[in-house]
Amino acid sequence: EETISAVHAFPETLIYTKSFLSFVDKVNEAGKGVIQIDVRGGPEAIGMFQQPDAVRDGIVDMVYTPGSFYGGALPEKDAMVASNLTAVETRANGGIALIDQIHQEKMGLKYLGWFDSGVCYNLWTRNEPKFDAAGNLEVEGLKLRGNNVYNAFFTNYLGAQVIDLPTGEVYSALQRGVVDATGWTQIGLIDLKWNEFLNYRIEPCFFSTDLGVIVNNEKWNSLSDDAKKILQEVAIQHEKDSVEALRAKRDEDFAALDAAGMKVVSLEGEAKASYLAAAREKTWERMKEVMSDQPGGTGNYDRLIELFYDLGAD
Amino acid sequence: MEWFEALALLLGTIMLLMAIGMPIALAFLAANIIGAWVFMGGERGVMQLLNNGLGALTKYALMPIPLFLLMGEIFFHTGLGGRMFTAIDKLLGRLPGRLSYVTVLGGTAFSTLSGSSMGSTALLGSLMVPEMSRRGYKSHMSIGPILGTGGLAIIIPPSALAVLLATLAQIDVAALLIAGVVPGLVLAGFYIATIWLQTRIDPTAAPAYDVAPMSFLSKLGLLLREVIPMVSVMVIIIALMIRGFVTPSEAAAFGALGVLILAAIFRCLTWKAMKKSVIGALKVTLMAYLIVFGSATFSQLLAFSGASRGLVTWATSFDLAPLAMLLVMFAVLLLLGMFMEQISIMLLTVPIFFPLAQTLGFDPIWFALIMLLSLEISFTTPPFGLLLFVMKGVAPAGTTMREIYTSAFPFIFCSLFLVALLIAFPQLALWLPSL
Amino acid sequence: MINTTYKALLYGLAGVSGLMLVWIMVSVIVSVVMRNMGLQPFAWLFTSAEYGLLYMTMLGAPWLVREKGHVHIELLTAALPGAARRLLSRAVAAACVLICVILTWKGIELVMTNIKRGDFDTRAYYYPRWLLTIAFPLSFGLMAVEFSRFVFGRELMHSGEAGIHE
Ligand code: NA
Ligand code: NA
Repeated sequence: EETISAVHAFPETLIYTKSFLSFVDKVNEAGKGVIQIDVRGGPEAIGMFQQPDAVRDGIVDMVYTPGSFYGGALPEKDAMVASNLTAVETRANGGIALIDQIHQEKMGLKYLGWFDSGVCYNLWTRNEPKFDAAGNLEVEGLKLRGNNVYNAFFTNYLGAQVIDLPTGEVYSALQRGVVDATGWTQIGLIDLKWNEFLNYRIEPCFFSTDLGVIVNNEKWNSLSDDAKKILQEVAIQHEKDSVEALRAKRDEDFAALDAAGMKVVSLEGEAKASYLAAAREKTWERMKEVMSDQPGGTGNYDRLIELFYDLGAD
Repeated sequence: MEWFEALALLLGTIMLLMAIGMPIALAFLAANIIGAWVFMGGERGVMQLLNNGLGALTKYALMPIPLFLLMGEIFFHTGLGGRMFTAIDKLLGRLPGRLSYVTVLGGTAFSTLSGSSMGSTALLGSLMVPEMSRRGYKSHMSIGPILGTGGLAIIIPPSALAVLLATLAQIDVAALLIAGVVPGLVLAGFYIATIWLQTRIDPTAAPAYDVAPMSFLSKLGLLLREVIPMVSVMVIIIALMIRGFVTPSEAAAFGALGVLILAAIFRCLTWKAMKKSVIGALKVTLMAYLIVFGSATFSQLLAFSGASRGLVTWATSFDLAPLAMLLVMFAVLLLLGMFMEQISIMLLTVPIFFPLAQTLGFDPIWFALIMLLSLEISFTTPPFGLLLFVMKGVAPAGTTMREIYTSAFPFIFCSLFLVALLIAFPQLALWLPSL
Repeated sequence: MINTTYKALLYGLAGVSGLMLVWIMVSVIVSVVMRNMGLQPFAWLFTSAEYGLLYMTMLGAPWLVREKGHVHIELLTAALPGAARRLLSRAVAAACVLICVILTWKGIELVMTNIKRGDFDTRAYYYPRWLLTIAFPLSFGLMAVEFSRFVFGRELMHSGEAGIHE
């Protein structure tokens, strides 16, 4: 029986970690006598932002983390950030295979699977959002909390005053009015208790989560074919299962928020289209810029966009 | 390697190196090198250790500590502190141990400003200890109350640690914050009682000298001139924080700015005082942060090797009565707290302790508060309590670690007594949030 | 000559460390004031303060060794008689040198890896990682030199004065 060690980027109580742990359970069930995953813990075992290097260097064999935590080494993760597809479609059309190939080339990592996809981000505000005559969102006077996932969009397109705050400080910042708006995924707001202060959700949602399982390449290659097969098959199954599970969780969260008085405001028509276009294009711009400085250049750029974005879907 | 072997290797190394007199920070680094070599696959583990240290140090949450230290040092070196304490001496007359009481009252008020006990200890330590020792207070009369009130900062809101704990445990943040108010005030009351007892037992511990009688008007003048300006700096900052002008982490920078402005108004701001203040603040910060650098990775090694999780799982595997189980969990938190950093302890224990607390029928808010108290206590327990080292840094030259340990003890006992009270009367914590 | 240059480097880095402390204060104040005036605070204010914490700690640490500012516990060193105490004190200092040498060596490797891989620290900006990690070999290298002064020099790291206190 072979064993691989694993760590996850977020605390154990977070929904995304629970999803990863259920993947581990499935592997350990299917892999009895062949392959087992030994979870060593979360950010208390290896720092959140040090995990990508740790798996690259073989300190740990497997890591579950957002691609954005190693975006400096792999700017192509922005294709997933800006995506409006899920792992199911991009597994079928070869998108994930391309991402795997890029991981192998640039970082010596096997990209096993894109989990918890199909969850997108909304802007959440305390006060009723205002719109200009053309129906575009007005951000003047909005104290918007940002971070490096969405700053390209918020700053470069919306022209918002972004206040960079670590997640742990957002609760008290909202409480005191240091910020009055933030981006966040569709789910998880209730767990963070931010809904105590935020009253509006702005639609449409944009972006996608980019959480994935990466495995040290040497370790991967040393595994038996049986072990590889089990890991890969369970991962592909979990890509599918997690999309469904998180959609159900989103509906549940939205219902709970609705019941608690969260109001939904939506951009329409032209304004909606240009909002979404800005979200993806500013992010692609950033991706292209960083790619062009790296070996390999922007060779995969067009192909990535084609595989990870369906223009017809918006 | 079994979890207890890993635990023995890591803790044994650090205790041995500390005992033979290696600087604490270096002892952590040495234990980390050995641990990384054993558990992270040889020499590449050492590189990971440096990466982890980089992550541990470049954190916004660490920013208030040097700034609070700077604030206290400027207060001392410009002579503002001396003036204020002389005035308090005159105003409070013969009350033995008056500056110790002032420390507790000031520290309690300051807890409403600071969310971090390290920041709080840094400020009060650099603000009070040099003046108090100059005035002939025995060191336990200054160091003890400050170590005690340092811990108040994480119970009395705002508290960064309480918010994080509530988020991790998925309990009501506001309820936990409010639940800390009454126990925090009770604890401050215990500290006052402890000081009173100490001055009773040993009247020479705090200087008592005759104060010439003063007219009401001259007392008022003294109050307005020497005490009110400094107090208003604190009040203004608390007000700015409540109005959302600054976050608790940013408040320290404005505290330092406020004292600078005050010193300029009182015409005691000199380049020499500034230089001394920066050097003073720097020395304590560098010492404490190199320990943070080492201990953060040490915590991670305890987790990554499976040592700490093994301990937690083993200790909670027995079938015990609820109260006995609570004490076991409390003991585990104290033990881990001797060697691990607080956030790591929470990440590790919350997923195991809270479901367990639920099956035992504990109120989660009450349980979370007890957990916060244990983290606070472990911050001041030997051998490794970061607050003790911060205190060593600000204490006068020649203060021994032993003096610091013994000064801390009566105040640790107060916290333990509060935990006992909370177990006997949960309403102490739960009454206010239930309103 | 070498000695003067070395001392200038040691104290120069300590000076940079002190400036970092002042800079952290200034950057927080400026960004809060900008935010409350309705301006967008420069993201580099925030990021440079976070990096400042690292530079401050690492660049000042060797100076603090010389100042004997790294706290240690005198338990055994206080209990031992003169000659044995001096021997232990020098042995502990030598162990510190060894630790610092290992970390210098691994620090250099880390910097080389960062350069080779083109690693970036991704916060508000993409900042070359080696510019951060270079602080490690520099700091631990100088600390090794400073600790070795307590191995071979006239001065000892431990006072032993504390008697039974520590
Ligand atoms: Na507080
Ligand atoms: Na401790």
